[in-house]
Amino acid sequence: MSHFLDRLRFFDKVKETFSNGHGIVTNEDRQWEDAYRNRWRHDKVVRSTHGVNCTGGCSWKIFVKNGLVSFEMQQTDYPRTREDLPNHEPRGCQRGASFSWYLYSPHRIKHPMIRGRLLDLYRAERKRGKDPVEAWEAIQNDPDKRIRYVGVRGLGGFVRTSWQEVTEIIAAANVYTIKKWGPDRIYGFSPIPAMSMISYAAGSRYLSLIGGACGSFYDWYCDLPAGSPQTWGEQTDVPEAADWYNSTYLIITGANLPMTRTPDAHFATEVRYKGAKIVSMAPDYAEYVKFADLWMPVRQGTDAAAFLAMAHVALKEFHIQRQDPYFTEYARKYTDLPMQVILREFGEGWVPDRNLRASDFDGALGQANNPEWKTVVFDRKSGSYLAPNGSVGFRWGEEGKWNLLEKAGDQDIEAELSCIEERDEIVPVGFPHFNPGEKALLYRNVPVRKLRLASGEEVLVASVFDLQVAHYGVDRGLGGANVATSYEDPSVPYTPAWAAKVTGVKAADIERTGREFADNASRTRGKSMVIMGAAINHWYHNDMAYRAIMNLLHLCGCVGQSGGGWAHYVGQEKLRPQAGWAPIAFALDWMRPPRHQNSTSYWYFHTDQWRYDSLDADALLQPAAKGKYKGYRLADYNVVATRLGWLPSAPHYNRNPLALADEAIQAGAQDETAVGMYVARQLKEGKLDVAFADPDAEENWPRNLFVWRANLLGCSAKGHEYFLKHLVGAQNGVLQEGGDGNGTSEVKWREEAPAGKLDLMVDINFRLNSTGAYSDIILPTATWYEKNDLNTTDMHPFIHPLGEAVTPGWESKSDWQIFKTIAKGFSALAEKHLGTRKDIVALPMQHDSPFEMAQPLGQVKDWKKGECEPVPGKTMPLIKLVERDFGNTYRKYIALGPLMTKIGNNVKGLDWNTEQEYEELKHANGTVREAGVSQGMPSLEEDIYVCDAVMRMAPETNGEVAHKSWSALSKKTGIDHHHLYAGRHEDKITFRDIVAQPRKIITAPTWSGIESEKVSYTAGYTNIHEHIPFRTLTGRAHFYQDHEWFIDFGESLVSYRPPIDMKAHEKVPAGIKDKPHLTLSWITPHSKWGIHSSYQDNQRMLNLFRGGPYVWISEDDAASVGIRDNDWVEAVNANGATVARAVVSQRVPRGMALMYHAQEKNVNVPGSNTTGKRGGILNSVTRVVVKPTNMVGGYVQLAYSFNYYGTVGCQRDEVVVLHKIADQDIDWLERPLTPEREAQRNPSGIGCR
Amino acid sequence: MSLMKFFFAVYPYICLTVFVVGCWIRYDNQQYTWKTDSSQLLSGSNMVLASNFFHIGILAIFFGHFAGLVLPHWIWHLFGINDLQHQWIAIWAGSIFGVMCLIGGAMLWLRRFFNPRVRAAGRKNDAFVITWLMITLVLGLATLPVSIGHAGKGDPQVMLLLGDWIKSVIVLNPQPQLLEQVEPIYRAHMFFGMTVFLIFPFTRLVHILTAPLNYASRAYQIVRSKRYRSA
Repeated sequence: MSHFLDRLRFFDKVKETFSNGHGIVTNEDRQWEDAYRNRWRHDKVVRSTHGVNCTGGCSWKIFVKNGLVSFEMQQTDYPRTREDLPNHEPRGCQRGASFSWYLYSPHRIKHPMIRGRLLDLYRAERKRGKDPVEAWEAIQNDPDKRIRYVGVRGLGGFVRTSWQEVTEIIAAANVYTIKKWGPDRIYGFSPIPAMSMISYAAGSRYLSLIGGACGSFYDWYCDLPAGSPQTWGEQTDVPEAADWYNSTYLIITGANLPMTRTPDAHFATEVRYKGAKIVSMAPDYAEYVKFADLWMPVRQGTDAAAFLAMAHVALKEFHIQRQDPYFTEYARKYTDLPMQVILREFGEGWVPDRNLRASDFDGALGQANNPEWKTVVFDRKSGSYLAPNGSVGFRWGEEGKWNLLEKAGDQDIEAELSCIEERDEIVPVGFPHFNPGEKALLYRNVPVRKLRLASGEEVLVASVFDLQVAHYGVDRGLGGANVATSYEDPSVPYTPAWAAKVTGVKAADIERTGREFADNASRTRGKSMVIMGAAINHWYHNDMAYRAIMNLLHLCGCVGQSGGGWAHYVGQEKLRPQAGWAPIAFALDWMRPPRHQNSTSYWYFHTDQWRYDSLDADALLQPAAKGKYKGYRLADYNVVATRLGWLPSAPHYNRNPLALADEAIQAGAQDETAVGMYVARQLKEGKLDVAFADPDAEENWPRNLFVWRANLLGCSAKGHEYFLKHLVGAQNGVLQEGGDGNGTSEVKWREEAPAGKLDLMVDINFRLNSTGAYSDIILPTATWYEKNDLNTTDMHPFIHPLGEAVTPGWESKSDWQIFKTIAKGFSALAEKHLGTRKDIVALPMQHDSPFEMAQPLGQVKDWKKGECEPVPGKTMPLIKLVERDFGNTYRKYIALGPLMTKIGNNVKGLDWNTEQEYEELKHANGTVREAGVSQGMPSLEEDIYVCDAVMRMAPETNGEVAHKSWSALSKKTGIDHHHLYAGRHEDKITFRDIVAQPRKIITAPTWSGIESEKVSYTAGYTNIHEHIPFRTLTGRAHFYQDHEWFIDFGESLVSYRPPIDMKAHEKVPAGIKDKPHLTLSWITPHSKWGIHSSYQDNQRMLNLFRGGPYVWISEDDAASVGIRDNDWVEAVNANGATVARAVVSQRVPRGMALMYHAQEKNVNVPGSNTTGKRGGILNSVTRVVVKPTNMVGGYVQLAYSFNYYGTVGCQRDEVVVLHKIADQDIDWLERPLTPEREAQRNPSGIGCR
Repeated sequence: MSLMKFFFAVYPYICLTVFVVGCWIRYDNQQYTWKTDSSQLLSGSNMVLASNFFHIGILAIFFGHFAGLVLPHWIWHLFGINDLQHQWIAIWAGSIFGVMCLIGGAMLWLRRFFNPRVRAAGRKNDAFVITWLMITLVLGLATLPVSIGHAGKGDPQVMLLLGDWIKSVIVLNPQPQLLEQVEPIYRAHMFFGMTVFLIFPFTRLVHILTAPLNYASRAYQIVRSKRYRSA
């Protein structure tokens, strides 16, 4: 009752003693113990996870007490894997365990917030009696008013507003933009749907309904391994973590398992108990190196050289010196190695050109359908050239022959790998080579056959295998130069001794690893695996590194085998119920097609990074290039790619697409085809142009930007300072003026660059991060413990939910409800201002559609250069006419639309109808009751309804849909695949099911692996075991790329290409170079104490390491310029500067600065002494640069698809100058905003070019 | 009511009442606030010296006051110490431990006000307490020359008066008139000293009451019975 009174019995509490008085029994108050019990007492437990793109996809228990989330703990109820295989759980890491801090933290966004100056301007206009759209127009049309709020972005000044007012302003801005500039000037950026699918779908659905463009992320993050679509026609498909345990030999490079795959890393340690060998390749002593058997400290950016040398060994010992039967069979059936390539005369001999096709022969080898798209092998059985099944020509326009059975039609064949025994001739063939200081074209002798084509021309042909052997520099006794008999010959690429020179790794290690890798694969039928990741994928020539690895894997028959193949882990890419999700996410249930944009090109142009691009495209060409576009800058190449229908562009053209549609119709165009012809004519006559040809003209600016579930400006914005300068118009640290990018042929150069292109930037988040700080409006969203959503990952095959443990805090709402609210506000204004309009959508030739065969033989025909006519869908983008009933946006948003029954659903070129699922959803979700266009349709009003609609329509979560989609594929391949899902035909997984327990998905044709009791999920499994072709030109895995641009840029076969010279470190202010400084390559790997920018500002994580930004440098480098641990340092180059604490460590090799990814601006970041602006982030010193080969389109695996192919936002080739800042020189910039400071948006002395 | 009466007949009871009732309420209702509020984690430099000097000094002074002023005279006489010797002992002990406490306390005071981490994490209350204690101490030390004067003249009368007054307060028969002849410096020190009891329940000083002395003699194993009935 009273602690005090209890104390009065102090001398009375001992009741008895025992053990000779060493022990006592007391009678005293024990109330205090309840405090400890209550610490873990709770009212309920809810299942959720973290939507943070960490790939963990871990199921968590969220404990709620007194209506608040008190803590979280790992769930341990995953379904088991199988006998003899460790389970996936327990999953979770230190970061996830700290998330609940955010809910009630000072970072939490609690109310809708708006830039105070914008609100004042808007309210003033409204007071004058203007309606919302007119008010917005009045602000935009007055430059003085506009600069008042645009000019102070990033400088605070937010005030609280109401949902009602803020949605009205957003809606007004959207309506005005659509009316004045066109819907394609509205952009949305949100990444990685798999981490919270419904939240992603919310924004993308709204944008797709109003005609806005959704930006890609996978390629922009540079996590997309361009090598994967190039080789397999597959965006990315990788094994689940459990499959590591099935491997017996692992090479790990560029993926720090314990640090970034924390919940899965146990499989890598467990497999060592089974006897697997692990070889690690990392320049630094990374955490994963610790559990490897061998560490090969490879110089950063040279991984391709090491793998090429390993493949040199594997090729020589397992394909040339002896022919390993398993490897040979694999190469014949599943790779393009037996495909024939035509040689072209050049210089001292020949160079490889395009693949031989059925159409090259008289009678097209009997192929009436798509003969130009059927590649050719030499068949040993019949002794003749044949077009084997499986190439893309069989995929479209006919059925039953698109398979990898060793057949041509019904005839059994045996494709010949090499003609060395029956060659007609040996000729020198030139191979491009890029290592500085060595010859740029290496001639090597290749065995060839002579062949007369239908055209009458006599040509030499060689198999890809024979070319590849020569390219690896393996001596086959054919004489000639540039081949090696010995591994110890450092002068011949790609021997181990040569690679040692480039990579710094011992030749003996490379040789042994190559041999062991192949030997292990030979003995186990492919159980050798390479685990790789972002660290090697963020280089400009990342596709070279990746293809070098894939080559090794294919030569050893590893891809598609359990325990073998590539395992590329970057982000949470695997959106398992994709096919059920896409119709909702992109409003395909109401109108098709949506607007998609590859973000890299988008930001490259719209943030004006092209104006600073110093890379000479000509210098990237190989000596034997035809070089049609010689003299073009990289930006020009992108414009060509856009106008030829390879890559998308937003905006499409320098005119409002609604106005363009009106003009076409007024000019007499009756239907879509006629409108397309009108657009083509306008383009040809030069009356219309692609927007990227003049990105700085105000009609081509992006106007409205939505960022949700993302942190663009604190995290992924490579060229951060350029974003601030040109797109946002804020205080920025760009230390140079544009000019290096001048000299473009296709892109118009304007002397003065725009600053502040965006009229409105909206951030939707639960925490205030750098993106929010620069936005005009911040909307409070529900955290991962406050909403119902879906989550899947690459690392395990389960689908599980994000769950609403507590209702969204303060005024926040789930993303689905936020965009529903915005849609409602938009509809009200749109009805008056927009009505119903026709919209022109320019769609690039899509992968997995017949349009991937738009441009035959890999030849580039440019209508602008008069080489052909502009024909939509053939030589330029498809022109689609979409009707937008803007006033009904809200009604459409909340219902599953009618196209699901009229057209049905599809994925990867397979179509099926969804009538049954549509009817089921009417019962499961109920229907929309509100009168209007969507009355009576399945409701999508609540988040859980959307989850259930996704799962009902996806083959992965509905056995009946799996059945329909597999049936469609069986028809194409002519092979019965039904056994793959038969046991689960009647399964239907619902949201309530996964709340109870994570559920394993059902095998679907969306993916190349299977869910089974016998094998783990692994990429390419169905290609090898079900004979489903890869979605490439040949239908096989490609060693060779025969597109003209690939040949020109010397990448038809894999070469080692060194990091490019970005030149930014040469232009730093003189004062810095006069002081002691270091010149270091700028490496930005993922962090231990955060997932991207999340958690890095979490107090629990900040307490674990340094509590602010830091850069790791080597002990020796630091000592050489007098830097001590924890000193402030500044990394600076022409792009900007960033200030952080130095972590001086033996872990880091010399010549490298390592700043963990996405340490952003909001915690303990001082000003930079060089820029005079807030000290920057990891991307303040980077700038993106685009690669022409990544722009190629309209050509099967090199055809565009959203997040599938396109330019990638590489940033790792950058070099910085790093110097110490004395403690007393640190300036926290804590001063009031003066008019002078407001006006000085660039560093002093830097202008607006 | 004269000021003398208020300060030396009423005020002591106010202080003691607030002290007892305040501690009781805080002990019963705010158990988690009953702690030392140590800031040693934030800055440990010189703490060995500062904290030990301060604590040893102040504890010795406290027990010295108790022995010298509260214990009956006859106990001293029992040991053969007459009043004058008693006073000299008090002067010596007070000087040594007072200076010790002053050194330690001054270091703590400087740390509390000028160490940035301690200052940032501390409350006004903490700064107030150390300041008040230091003033009290300095006033106490300031009585030493006067006491030496008395002792030098062989006159322990003032010391005995002070003891008598304290006893009068303890037996609930306060006699403020005993202090009328005493030098003002003693009265000032006494006021500050009494006020320490007044502020005691509202500060970190409460930790004094629960010093875990029993740790020294505690049994190795303690079984807490489940059948406890609260008083």
